[in-house]
Amino acid sequence: MSEDGLDPVIHAPARLRIMVTLAALPEGDDLTFTGLQDLIGLTPGNLITHLRKLEDAGYVTTHKNGTGVTARTSVALSHVGRDALERYTTVLRQLLDSVYSETELQLGKPWLKNGQGFVDAAERLGVDCAF
Amino acid sequence: MNERAGTTGGAGMDDAASMADGTPMGVAEAAAIMREAGETARRGLQVRHRATFTIWGLGLLIGYGAIWLTVRGQRPFHGPDPGAFALVALLGAASVMAGLEQARTESGVGGLSAVRRRLSFASVLIGLAGMFAVEGALVHAGASKPVISIFEASAPILVAGIFYLTSSTVRPHWAVTGLGLWLVVVAGAGGFAGPVGVWGVGALAGGLAYLLMAAFDPWLRRS
Repeated sequence: MSEDGLDPVIHAPARLRIMVTLAALPEGDDLTFTGLQDLIGLTPGNLITHLRKLEDAGYVTTHKNGTGVTARTSVALSHVGRDALERYTTVLRQLLDSVYSETELQLGKPWLKNGQGFVDAAERLGVDCAF
Repeated sequence: MNERAGTTGGAGMDDAASMADGTPMGVAEAAAIMREAGETARRGLQVRHRATFTIWGLGLLIGYGAIWLTVRGQRPFHGPDPGAFALVALLGAASVMAGLEQARTESGVGGLSAVRRRLSFASVLIGLAGMFAVEGALVHAGASKPVISIFEASAPILVAGIFYLTSSTVRPHWAVTGLGLWLVVVAGAGGFAGPVGVWGVGALAGGLAYLLMAAFDPWLRRS
């Protein structure tokens, strides 16, 4: 499996952070725009840009409460978005597993999946296997 | 259609998003981002109760302690000094306001959690209102001052204990369950200390329990 299997809408650093952050909320909850911005650390303009792409894909929903000065925008992950993130996570795990298998072949030694030896070998190949 | 990056318009927005993506991301980086963002979100979205527990603890310690000091030498017993009781009521109101303020500023989370928070506080206020109604009924029925004093001291702690026990049925947490259980025990057993001792028991056993919860809140949130 190649990285082409990863959803391109999600597979970008900022949008992935947004999706994972919103997925941490219980279903039925939403997060204010400023709350999300504080957690993600993006500028407002950048955050709006990425939110709109996710909203166009149907992965997040936004709604505005109140009017005027007290108006605030809240963001939530949609059901479609949760499913998409789950699929993305599955594909990512499969890709990482295949990297692990390649590590075994290249080093010619059996490694326990959770052993420190695996982590050392992966690091020598430049792969971060902490996930 | 405006095709300038960062402005409204479908094609322009795609360009802006693509430009904002930066260099392509590998699977290892994606995995690291998921882990880090998940941890940050978990920590950032966690409810913090330290301020509320501290105010409730000090409220019980100082308020109930003040009342205990005013009633302990009374011969015959005639009950809490109105000034001291007003202090306890003010501290109680401050506790509720502190809780509301905490809820308001809690990381911007809305939706069902916000509804639950409002219902939780409403249930505490309704419980306390019911408690005062029962006290009025006891006075009306001719209950003695020692009986009223025991009720006045024990009932708010009992209401708080039951609140924590029912809260933990919705969101189980061993520490909150323990606090609820402890407060119910303090309310029940404290009454046997008499109309004077019940205030001292509430101050120490109840107040210190809250302060312990406040002190260990960061560790309890991780569990």
